[in-house]
Amino acid sequence: MRRVNGSMRGRVRTALIFVGALYLTGCGVSNVVIEGSFPTPNINKLPLNVAVYYDPALTEFAYIEYSETGSEEYNIASGQSHIELFSTVLPAMFDGVVVVSSIEEAEALGVDAIFAPIIEEFQLALPAKTKLDVYEIWIKYNMRLMTADGDYIADWVLTSYGKSPNESLRSAEAAINAAAIVALRDLASSFSLSFSQVPEVKDWLNTL
Amino acid sequence: MKHFLGKNRLGIALLLLVSFASCTTTTIDEFRQGETGIENHESVVILGRRQASDYETRSEFVECVGERMTRGENSISIVPEQEFVDAMFPWFEPRTAPLRTRDLERLMTESVVSQRMTEFGVRYIVWLDGFTETTDRSGSISCTIGPGGGGCFGFGSWEDDANFDARVWDVGSLTNVGTISTDATGQSYLPAFIIPIPLIARVEANACSRLATQLKDFVNGS
Repeated sequence: MRRVNGSMRGRVRTALIFVGALYLTGCGVSNVVIEGSFPTPNINKLPLNVAVYYDPALTEFAYIEYSETGSEEYNIASGQSHIELFSTVLPAMFDGVVVVSSIEEAEALGVDAIFAPIIEEFQLALPAKTKLDVYEIWIKYNMRLMTADGDYIADWVLTSYGKSPNESLRSAEAAINAAAIVALRDLASSFSLSFSQVPEVKDWLNTL
Repeated sequence: MKHFLGKNRLGIALLLLVSFASCTTTTIDEFRQGETGIENHESVVILGRRQASDYETRSEFVECVGERMTRGENSISIVPEQEFVDAMFPWFEPRTAPLRTRDLERLMTESVVSQRMTEFGVRYIVWLDGFTETTDRSGSISCTIGPGGGGCFGFGSWEDDANFDARVWDVGSLTNVGTISTDATGQSYLPAFIIPIPLIARVEANACSRLATQLKDFVNGS
């Protein structure tokens, strides 16, 4: 009898673990790490040596989308994909690019300018909430350009947008990734084409 | 004999189902604004418009039209969309792509762009813009499952409407040489008697096929 009881208890425990696992799978947060490749921009290089400082706020950037009930729905990590993007775009824009771990290190290198991008805001729009057939991502950046001494040159806001259609045979995670890649390409195109048109940057370039 | 009759009846039923499923109407409208023609060494690039806020031209549809234009008599060399957009980066992104031929003219003054265009041998740029919409959903299907088995019962139907415009730009003369519009509609049915039997109208596939044939003739100047 004891043996039967033990076996029953084991089965109940297994069933509870199974139900618990199912519950967690159904309600847990979906982690999305943005992955993709970026083409090199076809633009004329500026004769500048630039140091790039990636703030931990950018490299470790993650956005959490909450459901209507307040629980975490998606955790979107896009820090590394931003580093990959800038690593492709910046060498196509400037003659020399060096990545530094601190502003002080850049000051010691004697470069023409120090560039430090930061994500200020990230927004995700899901088809279930907007009733549109697309996943959308908006990202707002703060681009900072400093002299080799750390003095201010320019500080401007750049926004990027990407969308991806809602398809029946594609997961929400894949659609979010696709929308983010479009947004990152949008950032690369507007940043590379508008850099020398930013009034403060234009004034500074004229002084060189 | 009975067995033969039974087989025949099943065949007729299947034929009826297939004819129901393939019930799609496609209308093509062509507006020519200039002379066209293409040499063997020249190619065409088909690009999807992605500027609208509430929809975007699916890359699968763009791919389908391009793939069909490379088939059969008078086939045309097509540059894959993604390969072209990547090679031209950042000039053909949703926010930077030329919207009018005047913008293309300005873009061609960039040496990198004109050089790449020559490398690809692009004679025509075709801009595809449109989407497929599902409307008039009706009916209901309910499925149950129990210890003795399961099944679905009911009937559902919906209508698909595919609307696409193709604007053809001549890269040589930097002008808009014409527009081809396609409108395909079709009714799909989903009867369920134990198992659901989808009878899907191939609306987008028909729109793709007809548009590709028309575009091929248009570009060849016939």
